[in-house]
Amino acid sequence: MTQRHLLSVCDLRVEYKVGSDIVRAVDGASLDVPRGAIVGLVGESGCGKSTLARALTGVMPKSARIAGGQLLFDGTDLLRLSHRQMNRHRWRDIAFVPQSAMNSLDPVYTIETQLAEILRRRGGLNRAETRERSAHLFELVGIEPRRLGDYPHQFSGGMRQRVAIAMALALEPKLVIADEPVTALDVIVQRQILDRLRFLQAELGMSVLLVTHDISVVAYVCDEIVVMYAGRVMEAGEARTVLTEPHHPYTMGLYNAFPDLQSSQGLLTPIDGQPPDLRRPPEGCRFAPRCPFAEDACRGGEVPLTAVNGSTHAAACRRLDEATALRAKALEAETWMP
Amino acid sequence: MDAVTDRRPVDVPLVDVRGVRMHFPVAGQWWAALRGRPTVVKAIDGVDITLRRGESVGLLGESGCGKTTMGRLLLKLIEPTAGEIRFDGRPLASLDRPSLKAFRQKAQLIFQNPFEALNPRFTVQQSIAEPLENAGVPANDRRELILQAMGRVRLPDPADLLGRYPHQLSGGQLQRVVMARALILEPTFIVADEPVSMLDVSVRAGILNVFREVRDSLGLTAVYISHDLALVRYVCARTIVMYLGAVVEDGPTEDLVREPLHPYTKALVAAVPVPHPDQSRDALPIRGGAPDARNPPSGCRFRDRCPHAFDRCAAEAPKPTRVGDRTVFCHLFQP
Ligand SMILES: Nc1ncnc2c1ncn2[C@@H]1O[C@H](COP(=O)(O)OP(=O)(O)OP(=O)(O)O)[C@@H](O)[C@H]1O
Ligand SMILES: Nc1ncnc2c1ncn2[C@@H]1O[C@H](COP(=O)(O)OP(=O)(O)OP(=O)(O)O)[C@@H](O)[C@H]1O
Ligand code: SF4
Ligand SMILES: [Mg+2]
Ligand SMILES: [Mg+2]
Repeated sequence: MTQRHLLSVCDLRVEYKVGSDIVRAVDGASLDVPRGAIVGLVGESGCGKSTLARALTGVMPKSARIAGGQLLFDGTDLLRLSHRQMNRHRWRDIAFVPQSAMNSLDPVYTIETQLAEILRRRGGLNRAETRERSAHLFELVGIEPRRLGDYPHQFSGGMRQRVAIAMALALEPKLVIADEPVTALDVIVQRQILDRLRFLQAELGMSVLLVTHDISVVAYVCDEIVVMYAGRVMEAGEARTVLTEPHHPYTMGLYNAFPDLQSSQGLLTPIDGQPPDLRRPPEGCRFAPRCPFAEDACRGGEVPLTAVNGSTHAAACRRLDEATALRAKALEAETWMP
Repeated sequence: MDAVTDRRPVDVPLVDVRGVRMHFPVAGQWWAALRGRPTVVKAIDGVDITLRRGESVGLLGESGCGKTTMGRLLLKLIEPTAGEIRFDGRPLASLDRPSLKAFRQKAQLIFQNPFEALNPRFTVQQSIAEPLENAGVPANDRRELILQAMGRVRLPDPADLLGRYPHQLSGGQLQRVVMARALILEPTFIVADEPVSMLDVSVRAGILNVFREVRDSLGLTAVYISHDLALVRYVCARTIVMYLGAVVEDGPTEDLVREPLHPYTKALVAAVPVPHPDQSRDALPIRGGAPDARNPPSGCRFRDRCPHAFDRCAAEAPKPTRVGDRTVFCHLFQP
């Protein structure tokens, strides 16, 4: 992989064991995170976003197993590292803001104590440095440093979310993985946090993998987009290109289903049906059962992620060559009627 | 029908809220009192709302501004600590037993979380039948009505779903069952509290479309509670914006989106992200975070975050001012 990318996920497979079944939550996903970029990972609930994010941090539930692939971070394959080696990367190189991070803070310790734990134990800072850095971090995320001694319950949800981001930034990591950092927050708070994240990313020159189900959030803050569906990457590329010229029917459908405050929109169009059962995913294109453009060829064989005109924009669709025509059809509501 | 009785309900608004307050006691009230701290949360603090028949109104605002509380007041699930709510011209506070029963059938709630709204031990049929039972509809007539209600919310293969339990349904199907249940007695008034916030983007649109359809076909008067202006705009021609227990702006949704008047509405509209690469990324015209509902600022409760606040804003609460089709509560517009 080229130096342009801080992180390259190649053909990652992650499974969960549930009873006697195997859930293939991430099933051959590939994506790149360029240096100094914010990459948005989007897709609907259950498509494997959090599973992929957690695989990158090495912290996974017992029932999970990495069944294959590579995670190249700055040249090293994270999957080949021992637990201890991986631990050295955590917080310092790769930091994680978990989904519903605002509820993940420890209620019995003050924020100051929790931050100090990271700064002193992981970062090796002394007492004075820790105090100074803690105050600085609070300022960075827009909370008054005098509130460092407060307990998590003394903060609002939005503030707790910012605290979780402050913790992730504590050791100035190269990569921050933020899982739904603004979901369930009010738009004003959401906007403030996204603006902060953007500012910090530029200031510290780090990369961010932002997991969300909201394409508006991606459109607002991300440089690149990766669209996931049923454990796979369906489309990826520069945000502007993917949003204005989607090449995968799923991306087109997602767009139609989304209310847009800026345009005078007609009817919103749902995508009929629901994602497949990941214990028994359909053969061929995973989206075929819901895709209005599916043909017989779509239902057999792997559909690889293929570059669009040799650019960095890529989509996994059998009818990739017809994307322009399909896009026009996708705009008509009748196309999506069951 | 007699012309006089026929006309009366048309002139009288379906819902009329006058000077309503809902002050909840805070936990450890006497302790707070001892220490000179506020002893109540002013969840709703002086609200007037008039809903005409057949109107769909969005109740919009940040978390904790009092939307759910307002919804519960409208449905008489709680009693206001001050003020009056009239339904069809009659004060809700003084309904006798039979009228209250009739009101409970006419006014229905759709919950935010379809995963919690249904009894997990009930089949779909049992859940939807429950209100019919309570209303004394004979058992023989129920199945027909249930299938009809399920068709109305566009549940595919309704007969097939009747015997299923909630955990055997998708989120979108569940929310349709919840809606079918709420609509089975053909209510005239419905309060939907964030009905799609727990659902996936790809199924949301379907629920919103069903909501619009049934509302139009049944001529419902609807209150749609949400913190998402894009959703409210999709289902409601009129929007009421709330801030810390009070209304700040009330008017046609399109006007409000195109040219918000109240400084708070301005910030709210500016903060909504849109799914395009080209959008404004300017700093929001607002300061700080939402203040404590136990201790709202004097005068205009938005003043400590408002970029335009001036002396008068701290001294007196702004009165409702008409601007075009809108009502605004802000000194910038008050003569
Ligand atoms: N611990 C687990 N055990 C078994 N299955 C799991 C576990 N965690 C997740 N899954 C399953 O793996 C799939 C992917 O889940 P994941 O949480 O990664 O999705 P997601 O895209 O993050 O969804 P959401 O938007 O709802 O957060 C789902 O089918 C989910 O049910
Ligand atoms: N039963 C109650 N006892 C005490 N305080 C309450 C009660 N119900 C609501 N409140 C308080 O009243 C205020 C308004 O709450 P409400 O639930 O109406 O807000 P909301 O606008 O629906 O918020 P959200 O968007 O988070 O659902 C909040 O400060 C809340 O904590
Ligand atoms: S009344 Fe004053 S403080 Fe309140 S919104 Fe208007 S200008 Fe701002
Ligand atoms: Mg997730
Ligand atoms: Mg609520």
